[in-house]
Amino acid sequence: MERYAPLVWSICARFGLSNHDREDVGQNVWLLLVEQLGKLREPAALPGWLATTTHRECLRVVTASRKSERLGTGLDDALQFVDNTIIDEEILMAERNAALRAAFAELPPKCQQLLAMLTSDPPCSYAEISAGLGIPIGSIGPQRARCLERMRKSSALAGLSDADIHWAKGEHRA
Amino acid sequence: MPEGWDDDELLAALGEAMRARQAVPEWFVETGKNAYAWHNIDADLAQLTYDSDRDADTVAAVRSEAASIRALTFTSGRLSIELEVGEGSLIGQIVPPRAGTLEVHTAAGVTSTSVDEIGCFAVDPIPNSPFRVRCRTEDGTDVLTGWITL
Repeated sequence: MERYAPLVWSICARFGLSNHDREDVGQNVWLLLVEQLGKLREPAALPGWLATTTHRECLRVVTASRKSERLGTGLDDALQFVDNTIIDEEILMAERNAALRAAFAELPPKCQQLLAMLTSDPPCSYAEISAGLGIPIGSIGPQRARCLERMRKSSALAGLSDADIHWAKGEHRA
Repeated sequence: MPEGWDDDELLAALGEAMRARQAVPEWFVETGKNAYAWHNIDADLAQLTYDSDRDADTVAAVRSEAASIRALTFTSGRLSIELEVGEGSLIGQIVPPRAGTLEVHTAAGVTSTSVDEIGCFAVDPIPNSPFRVRCRTEDGTDVLTGWITL
């Protein structure tokens, strides 16, 4: 649930659903998942199944609310939201993000604190990090490099292919 | 791990991954964990065998003036559970009739109500989220329906 909740959530967000509708979709997706658990023997198939099921549930909610407001033709309009390329990208992104979070979780607490401060939005300055973690400003750079190197070598990231990463880089430039 | 990422890229990707997780409210994750608690329940599963909304479509098209009551029937090998959606409450009966306990399970939790000796029960208020009904009778029958959304 921890691993894949962001995938389900981000799809709901793309459909612009209200919190109430997201709860509705989320509940149905998780309940369906629990019923499918015995049948989904291949763990690799899980993200795809979740993404497809979430899309279907979002469409159901969107269609139902349009019907009640008597807007548009419902399903035809809603179907334009479904684009397999987008779904595939969402799945890739969710897998990559989950692998990164898993690699982060394997780091020692000091590395986690440092990287959390470096990736916060807005980012912390080196002076704030130095004060917050009690380390000299001069050693932040080397420690950052060491922690990232450690993360790069973690087993959680070993599963990511070069293609995943190149794809991710393209996303960052975009 | 492939050589693809330099430090800045890895840090940026990590930041994005953390924000994607932070964007998800805790209640959303909790909903999933509650649903998971359903895994491994030892009861006979009753299938939906009749739904007035679904099975009476053609009839409704002909006489659409009637405000019909939604009726559902779930059937397992040992008993059937009949549900009718009334105004504000859900009433039902177990067939063949016998006394027991009826539980209404939602992702949020469980409420229970008693089933009288002629198999009748009432659920008030009507659950406003997906739910399933579990019926345990005095003779030891334990039956669970599929998920219901009204």
